Amino acid sequence: MTVVTYEGTQFPVADGETVLDALLRAGQVVPYGCRAGVCHSCMMSADDPAPVRQAQVGLSDTQKALNYFLSCQCQPASPLEVKLVNAAGAKQVVEVLEKTALSESVYRLRLAPGLSYRPGQYVNLSRDAKLSRSYSLASLPSDPWLEFHIRHYPDGAFSSWVVNDLQAGDTLELQGPLGHCIYAAEANQPLLLLGTGTGLAPLWGIAREALAQGHSAPITLVISGRSLEDCYYRDQLLALAAAHDNVSVTWVLQDGEAADHVEVADIYQYCKERFPELNGYKIYLCGAKTFVNKLRKQCFFAGAAVRDISTDVFLQAGSL
Amino acid sequence: MSVYEKIGGDGAVEAAVDIFYRKVLMDDRISDFFDTVDMDRQRAKQKAFLTMAFGGPNNYTGKDMREGHKHLNLTEEHFNAVAENLIATLQELSVPQEYIDEIVGICLSVKDDVLNK
Repeated sequence: MTVVTYEGTQFPVADGETVLDALLRAGQVVPYGCRAGVCHSCMMSADDPAPVRQAQVGLSDTQKALNYFLSCQCQPASPLEVKLVNAAGAKQVVEVLEKTALSESVYRLRLAPGLSYRPGQYVNLSRDAKLSRSYSLASLPSDPWLEFHIRHYPDGAFSSWVVNDLQAGDTLELQGPLGHCIYAAEANQPLLLLGTGTGLAPLWGIAREALAQGHSAPITLVISGRSLEDCYYRDQLLALAAAHDNVSVTWVLQDGEAADHVEVADIYQYCKERFPELNGYKIYLCGAKTFVNKLRKQCFFAGAAVRDISTDVFLQAGSL
Repeated sequence: MSVYEKIGGDGAVEAAVDIFYRKVLMDDRISDFFDTVDMDRQRAKQKAFLTMAFGGPNNYTGKDMREGHKHLNLTEEHFNAVAENLIATLQELSVPQEYIDEIVGICLSVKDDVLNK
């Protein structure tokens, strides 16, 4: 017999009993369905991968990398701590190190490090109990800061507070990490990274993480935008492509003139023509909801496996 | 031995699920039922369905089948469309006809529950 810690409380697990059954027996509310390891309704994440490895059959590489497991299939032999996969965890107070304008409407916020995360995940940032928004991490754990790209919506309460009031040295609250849009691919699997707007933030983290882990296959970055002025981090992306033979970057614009690395086209049409066959690709789609949902289906129809398409959808506050 | 074991268990379902899902999403008769934003979740549902259809491990009852489908107002045409896409998937994977027949038999055994007859 052992114990499982869930939401701060320890629950006994009898020999041969599953984590799901132990929690249900104790009256905890955990979603579940088939109890046969198939439907994934009871998926949780663990603090330590070892005790849950046998309960990861059928999960994707991304899910395994995040220590996800099926609680109906897990009979732990040693104590472990678990949580539901969409639980954000405790809040922490972090200091602002730097705030820089990257374009007319996008600001870079760098916060003091001290969070354990995978590049591409996101966190909730809060001004106070009433005002909180989700932002994707653009940094790597090895960077001496946590980096976020914040689009300023003039009517947006949080982004206006960041742009107008927040200064280096101030603090805000951070909760996370969350999300599963992370680098989890074979080194020889081609990567296609498609983003719009501040969807570049997670892609910037994922691309650099792939390189840090020795990714050898092509890494193709495509950034969609209205005009070139909309697209920030252009020098950084060109420098990344120049430094690595397997990295390429293209901006696909609605308005403007074609040039080196710049195309003027409808992004959906561009992807259809440029990437007609995506079988075997690992794909990352980050940005506005329509953009992500349309391209996800398009990529799936072009032969990419569901599990090889990771997404990070940006929702504007109030759009839920 | 169940068809599920004969055709290769979980590995066979993994091979089939994306092919089947792509087919139903492209089938105008039924695509609306499957066209949800959360494709991971939808894929897991398709996998659960295929596992059941192959006679693999599941704890679904006739009552579960009724509860899970009754809000969808499904017709014979919808059921047949799903079955056709399933058969086409299995043929694409060169599953022997006798196993396909067995799988269709399992699907037909839950037909009344799915259509709430």
